[in-house]
Amino acid sequence: MNPITPIINGMKITLKHMFMKPVTLQYPTERPKVAARFRGLHALNVSHDKAKCVACYLCPTVCPAKCITVEAGEDANHDKFAAVYEIDILRCIFCGYCVEACPVDAIRMTGEFELANYSRKDFVYSKDRLLEKK
Amino acid sequence: MVNLTIDDNQVTAPKSSTIYEAAKLNGIKIPILCHDNKLKPFGACRMCLVEVEQMKGRQIPACTTPVTEGMIVRTATPDIVKARKMVLELLLLNHPIDCPVCDKAGDCDLQNLTYEYKVNANRFTDEKFHHKIDYNNPLIERDMNRCVLCGKCARICDEIVSFGALTFIDRGIETKIGCEFEDALNCEFCGSCVSVCPVGSLLARPFKFKARFWSLTKRKSVCGYCGTGCNLTLGIKDNKVLTTLYDENQGFHKGQLCVRGRFGYQFINSNKRLTAPMLRKEGRLTESTWEEALQIVADHLKGGNSVAALATPRLTNEELALFKKMMVENVGSKNFDHSAGYAHSALTEGFVRSFGTSASPASILDIQKSDLLLVIKTDAYETHPVIGFEINMGVKNRDIKLNILSDKRGKLSKLPGAKTLVHRPGSEVAILNAMAKSILDDKLVDASAASVPGFAELVKELAAFTPEAVAAQSGLKAADIKQLAGSYAAAEKALILFPIGQAYAGHNAELASAVANLAILTGKFDKEGCGVLCMAEKNNSQGAVDMGFYAQNGGMDGLRIIDACAAGAVKTLFIAGENPLISYPNHTKVKAALGAVECLIVADLFLTETAAMADVVLPACSFAEKEGTFTSTDRRVQHIEPAIRKSAQCKSDFEIFSALITKLGGTPPANPAAQFAEISAATPGYAGMSYLSLGSEGVFAPVAVTPALVLPKSAAVVAEEGSLSLVIGSVLYHSGTLSQYGEGPMHVCPEGYLEISRKDALLKNITDNDPVTVTSSAGSVKLKAKVTSRMPDGVVFAPYHFGAAPVNTIWSGAAVTMVTLAK
Repeated sequence: MNPITPIINGMKITLKHMFMKPVTLQYPTERPKVAARFRGLHALNVSHDKAKCVACYLCPTVCPAKCITVEAGEDANHDKFAAVYEIDILRCIFCGYCVEACPVDAIRMTGEFELANYSRKDFVYSKDRLLEKK
Repeated sequence: MVNLTIDDNQVTAPKSSTIYEAAKLNGIKIPILCHDNKLKPFGACRMCLVEVEQMKGRQIPACTTPVTEGMIVRTATPDIVKARKMVLELLLLNHPIDCPVCDKAGDCDLQNLTYEYKVNANRFTDEKFHHKIDYNNPLIERDMNRCVLCGKCARICDEIVSFGALTFIDRGIETKIGCEFEDALNCEFCGSCVSVCPVGSLLARPFKFKARFWSLTKRKSVCGYCGTGCNLTLGIKDNKVLTTLYDENQGFHKGQLCVRGRFGYQFINSNKRLTAPMLRKEGRLTESTWEEALQIVADHLKGGNSVAALATPRLTNEELALFKKMMVENVGSKNFDHSAGYAHSALTEGFVRSFGTSASPASILDIQKSDLLLVIKTDAYETHPVIGFEINMGVKNRDIKLNILSDKRGKLSKLPGAKTLVHRPGSEVAILNAMAKSILDDKLVDASAASVPGFAELVKELAAFTPEAVAAQSGLKAADIKQLAGSYAAAEKALILFPIGQAYAGHNAELASAVANLAILTGKFDKEGCGVLCMAEKNNSQGAVDMGFYAQNGGMDGLRIIDACAAGAVKTLFIAGENPLISYPNHTKVKAALGAVECLIVADLFLTETAAMADVVLPACSFAEKEGTFTSTDRRVQHIEPAIRKSAQCKSDFEIFSALITKLGGTPPANPAAQFAEISAATPGYAGMSYLSLGSEGVFAPVAVTPALVLPKSAAVVAEEGSLSLVIGSVLYHSGTLSQYGEGPMHVCPEGYLEISRKDALLKNITDNDPVTVTSSAGSVKLKAKVTSRMPDGVVFAPYHFGAAPVNTIWSGAAVTMVTLAK
C-alpha cells in the first residue's frame, strides 16, 4: 500500500465531520435536552400538600448503594410518614430501583444532573430539598 | 405411633396428632393462619385444606383432623391450590392491603401466603371495613380492619393468659374481634395476642414504625427480670434493642412472655443510662475517667472486714462468683450478700435444713405433670407471670386441681375450680403447720416419712398446731384447713409453689421448712410432678445462691451490713446493681447508713436513688451487652451472649471486678468462659457444664435431696385496734426497681398505689385515685388509693418497686405492718 493512503483516508473522516452537526455542546451556554426517562436527582412527589411517601422502607431496602436513610414517624392521626428522608447523592448510583420499588409513587427521578457542590454535607439531600418544587 | 402417607411420603406421627402436626413433624409444609403450637386446634382460616383419599377426596382442614392408620393425604393438588387461592382472595377482599404502612409487613403470614400463591388480582369486589382503630392504650394497637378472624388472639388470651380480654363479637360478615361492650382494650398487656397475630391487626405500639421486620437482627437471650428464665429473641437495629420477637419454638414456655419480658426492654437503650464513671468532688458527682475511678475504688477496698458488698441477683453467675472471689481473696472480707439477706433465706436456710440443698426440688416442667398445685400467695402470678401461664394451662387443659393459700385473692383464684383460702396476713406458717398436724392426725403420712430425721420431734412439737387452734388465729375454718391438707395428701402427685423476694419478708426459712414438711410427710418430693418450687425473685437469684454470694461463715448479711454501715463498722460499701434505698426495709435507716459510710461505690446502669448518694459511680452493662450464665429458679443454667455492643464508656461488672482484682494484686480469669469453668468445677450440680454444652435451651443442674423434718417457728401477728394490716409485694408489671426504666411497664403502672377493700374504702370514705397518707410506726407516705374487690377487709396492699413514693418509708421488714390511713 502506498504510505500516503492511510493519511488521506484519515483526513477524509476529519473533513466529513467538519460538515456534520457537532456531538458536543457549548455547555453551560448551551443546555442539553434530557430524555424523559433520564435518571437524575430524585424528587419526592407531593399530593394534597403532603409528601406521598409513607415511609415503608422499601427504597432503602432495595437500594444497592445503601444511600437512602428513612426514619418513620407517627403523625397526629397515627399515620405513618417519613420524619427523615435523606439521599446521600455521593453514594447514589442512579439505578432507579427506588422509583421501581415505591408502592405509592412517592419518588421519581428528575432531569436534574448538575449536582456538583462544595462540601460533602451538601451532597446529602434532606427531605426538604427533595420535595418536588412547584 | 400411626403410619400414614403424606404427599407420597411414608411417615409416622403420634396417635394424638392432627394431619397438620404430622406433616410439620415430617418436614412437610402446609400453609396455615390460625395455628399456634400452644393452642388447641380451631380450624378458622381454611388455608390448611388437604385431600384424604379415604374421605373420597373431599377437602378437609388438616389442623383439626386427627391422623388415622393408613391415611393417604395430599397437600398440594391443583384443586387444593385453587381452593387456597380462593380463600386468600376472600381474605384479601376486605383486608385494606396497606402493607406499606403496616408494621407487620415482612413477617405477615397473609402477605407471605399471598406472595407464595401468586394472588395478584381479586375476582370479587366488596367494600373494605371501616372499624375504628383502638389507640386507647400505650402498648397494643388494635386495627380490626386488617383482621382475618383466625381467633388466635382470643384463644391465647383465654387458654394461656386466662384473662379473656378479646373475643369474637357479632356474627356473619359483621364478625370482629373485640373487647367487652366493644370497649377499648384494658388488660394485663402481656402482648401474647400481638405475638400470635398472623396479620397486622394487633401491633406493639412501643415498636410502631421503629423499623421494618427484615432490617432487624435477631439475637437470642434470656430475660433479665424474674427468675422464670424465659428465653427472648431481641430485635436489634443499629445496635439498639427495638423489640422482642416471637418464636413459638423457643424455650419451655414456647415463646410466651409477660408484659415485662415483652414490653420492658427499653431500659437497655435508655438515654438515662450512665455514660461515664463519676466521682464525688466537693459534694457533687462529676464525670471522671475509669482509671481514676478504679484506682480510688481499689484504694478503698483495702480494708479487710470493714469493706462490705451488696450485689443484685441480676448479675451473671460469673460476675457473682468473681465478686465473691474478689471479696474473699483480694479484699479479705466475709461481708457480702444479695437481696437484703432475708429474701433468699428460704433457699439458703429453709431448704438447706429441710432438703439438704439450697435449690428447689422441683422444676417448672413439673407443673404440667402434677395432679394438684398448692400455691402460697396469689402473688405467685404477679412475681412470675410465665409460671402463672403454666398454672393456667395446667388447670384449664389438664384438670389439675389448684389450691391457694393467700392473704388476698388474685388472678389465680379466678381459675376454674381454684380453691382459695384467704387467711389473716402473716399466718401462713401456722396454717401449714396445722396442715402437717392434720396429715399426721388423719394418718395420711407416707411410709417413708417415719424414717426421716426429726420425725418424732416434729410429731411432738406440732401438738400445739391443731387446726382448730390455728383456725382461730388465722381467720380460716378448721374444716377448710383439714380439707386442704387432706386433698394435698390424697393427690397422687402434688406440687407446692411459693414466691420469694424482697417484698415477701414472710416467705422466709420458716415458711420454706413448713412447706417442705408437708412434702416430706406425704412423700411428695423427688418424684415427677411433685416437690416444692421456691420461685426466686430475680433472673439469677438461684444463681447467686449457687455461687454462694451470701453471708456465710460469720459474714454479715444484707441487713446487718446496713446496720454496720450506720454504726461505722463498715467503712467502704460496694453496691453492684442493688438499690437498697428503695428496695430494702426502712428507708430512713438505709439512707442514714449509706450516708454514714466513708466510701460508697455503686456500679449500676442508671443513676438510681442509691447511686445518687454514692462517692464513686461506675457505669455497668445490661444483660444484653455481656456474656455469662443465668440460673433460673428451677436451676436451669442458660448461657447468654452479647446481643449488642456495649457503649465505649461502660464496663460489664465482670470487667470491673477483673480490673479491681488486678489493681489489688490478684490475677483475674481471662474471660467469663474461664470463670464458668471454675464454677462448673466447684459448684454442686454444675459439674461438666460448659458454654458449649449449655446450648440454646440450657441445662438443668440436678438437685440432690436429703430430707429432714424441722419445726418452723411461726410468729403470731397481733392486730392493733383501728389499724389495717399492710402487706407489700410485687405488681405484675414490675420486677425489683429495674423495670422503672422500662417504658412499657411504666406506661401501664407508673406509680405506687395502695390497694384497699371496698368495705374499708367505704368506711374511710376513700374512692379510687384518692391520695391517701399511710402511716406506720416507721413513717408515712402518700399513695394513690385503688379500691378492689380482691382485698379482704382490714388488709391493704402496696407494691414496693417505686422510687417516687418509696413504700419502705413505712415498712421496716416485717411480713405485716400495721398502718393507719388518712385522706
